[in-house]
Amino acid sequence: MDKKLIIIAVVIAAVVVVGGISASLLLSKESKTTGTVYYVTIAPKDMKATLAGGSIDAYIAWEPYVSDSVVGNVGDVLEWSNQIMPNHPCCVVAVSPDFLSKPNGVNLTERFLKAHIEANQWMANALAHPSGANYTALVNMAVQFTSRNATVVKAALEHVKYGYEMNQAFRNALQQFTDMYINDNMTTTAKMQGLGYSSTSDFISKYVNGSLLDAAKSITPSSTILNPSNPIRLGYLLGDLHQMAQVVAQNTTAFGGTSMFQKYGLLVTSATGAPFASGGTEMSLGFASGSVDIGYLGAPPAILNHLNSGVKALIVAQANSEGSGIVVKANSGIHNLGDLVNKTVATPGETSIQFLLLKMALDKEGLDLKIKT
Amino acid sequence: MRSLTKSLSKAVISNWLRLTLSAVSVAVFLTIWWLLSAYLRADWPFLGVKPYPLSTYERLPYWWDVLRALGRSFVTNPSPTGGRFMSEHILASLTRISIGFALALISAVPLGLLMGRSRNAEAVGRPLVELFRPIPPLAWVPIFLVVFKFFWGPIAIVFLGVFFPILLNVRLGARSVDPVLIDAARTLGARRSTIFVKVVLPFTTPYLMTGITVGLGIGWMCIVAAEMLGGVGGGVGYYIFAANTAGLYDLVYAGMVMIGILSVLTTGVAGLIERWVYRWMGMK
Repeated sequence: MDKKLIIIAVVIAAVVVVGGISASLLLSKESKTTGTVYYVTIAPKDMKATLAGGSIDAYIAWEPYVSDSVVGNVGDVLEWSNQIMPNHPCCVVAVSPDFLSKPNGVNLTERFLKAHIEANQWMANALAHPSGANYTALVNMAVQFTSRNATVVKAALEHVKYGYEMNQAFRNALQQFTDMYINDNMTTTAKMQGLGYSSTSDFISKYVNGSLLDAAKSITPSSTILNPSNPIRLGYLLGDLHQMAQVVAQNTTAFGGTSMFQKYGLLVTSATGAPFASGGTEMSLGFASGSVDIGYLGAPPAILNHLNSGVKALIVAQANSEGSGIVVKANSGIHNLGDLVNKTVATPGETSIQFLLLKMALDKEGLDLKIKT
Repeated sequence: MRSLTKSLSKAVISNWLRLTLSAVSVAVFLTIWWLLSAYLRADWPFLGVKPYPLSTYERLPYWWDVLRALGRSFVTNPSPTGGRFMSEHILASLTRISIGFALALISAVPLGLLMGRSRNAEAVGRPLVELFRPIPPLAWVPIFLVVFKFFWGPIAIVFLGVFFPILLNVRLGARSVDPVLIDAARTLGARRSTIFVKVVLPFTTPYLMTGITVGLGIGWMCIVAAEMLGGVGGGVGYYIFAANTAGLYDLVYAGMVMIGILSVLTTGVAGLIERWVYRWMGMK
């Protein structure tokens, strides 16, 4: 091609790019607020080392990544997530509507939920008796699942509230999250209405399905495996202590050779791609591609991804509440949220419950949360 | 201005066949995209044909929706992608690419020349190059985050992507210098240093330019992995990554198109430099 033509094309393109950049730099100038806290996005597994290395001043993550730093004397907890929002929902059990519509899909889901309920009851009992054999068994399972030592796991277990029920407060909180997402432009009312929901309360009433959990309560054990050739493909997050119920329900050694899933006639296997790095990836890789039948993940990514892209993961049970925390570097002199002004906080990503909680906490103090530049 | 339009129209007329072929190729691509989107959504002309039961209605947006999202990204700054404008993302990525590329160029050219011309240097460098070359940039993310931190970490990822293509091409160029040329220069009484500057360097330059073009492309390929390292100031790779976890697929594709445009632009600039270098060396 002609040399001049190339030069002209490059010059025109350069002018467009430079013009666009300067125009939006001008547009982005905003008035100053009382204070700004800056965030970066990194995987929770890397947060402790990054905090120790000094490139961040604080982070917010789920257990055991909070207690990991505390036990290792790398960090101190600035605030637990229950101080930001008491009893806040966190992880949930979600089911793909495609799985539900398969023959026997409803029955298998109810059986899964029965095992989930029983695992929760067993954990509640184990946690109530720290000197008992069940507590030791639970800690051992958690050590294996999270690759953390027993001291870290024990400290972490103290801050997670396990539970399966979905009461009105749970639904209200999810509605509040959805309203916040619309307010913050993470999703839009138009998208919600495009999916056929008239309001956020209508959305939550349809997306949170309590009938399967109710039906699960009367399920009885099965002497045979009901899905021997079609195992339930389970999605879960990497080392997330919030999702211990599925670890307990899969364990055979602590329960005389038969897992809770087996007891209720289920064959369960890890979904392709599991464990996922975040709830967002479990939604976009697992549920969207149809490779996950039932999954444990944070409620916010399940909500946000559905509203933005239509991928469905119906919320059918709670897995835990609370259990996240803001960690600051040990002896850093940061004693309250105000001290975080102009400092850098790592979060697992804009779609995580932790990001939402951090934003809520800073909002209360009149502080802004912006990406670090 | 008149000469500009004149030369443009002249170029169009003399290249009409190839321009038409390019236009047809793009049109065919866009048509296939449109049909695929329509198929996945059971939209016209595939009304009623649902290939997948999933309600992933935005998984593959129509291309005009992607272009609209790309245009919008310059004037809106949605929170799921760091609350920054596309121009700021471009600036962040261009900075990373430029510094990573410059560092790779400075280090890979001398090393490539050395390995190409000295068997001992080749023996030292070869095993290390072969060991590190195939490691995907994503694998370095956790260690680079801790060692190089937020500013140099992403640059180091880009560096790795650019470094090896330049090194290997320069090495190949330096090695394949025609021995007859060197003998001829020696017969004419040239010293080793003169042979290097007057024979080896000019001979290697076209190889270097190939290395630069390939390296820049791979550098852009690494940008998503690079910007998973905290994503300070955002970046087009960060934009794609964040939009994906929020299920905003039109933005994901907009980011991908943007990377394509930026790669074409940077390769174009490299092409200009190439011409300038050739002219400066008296090769054209």
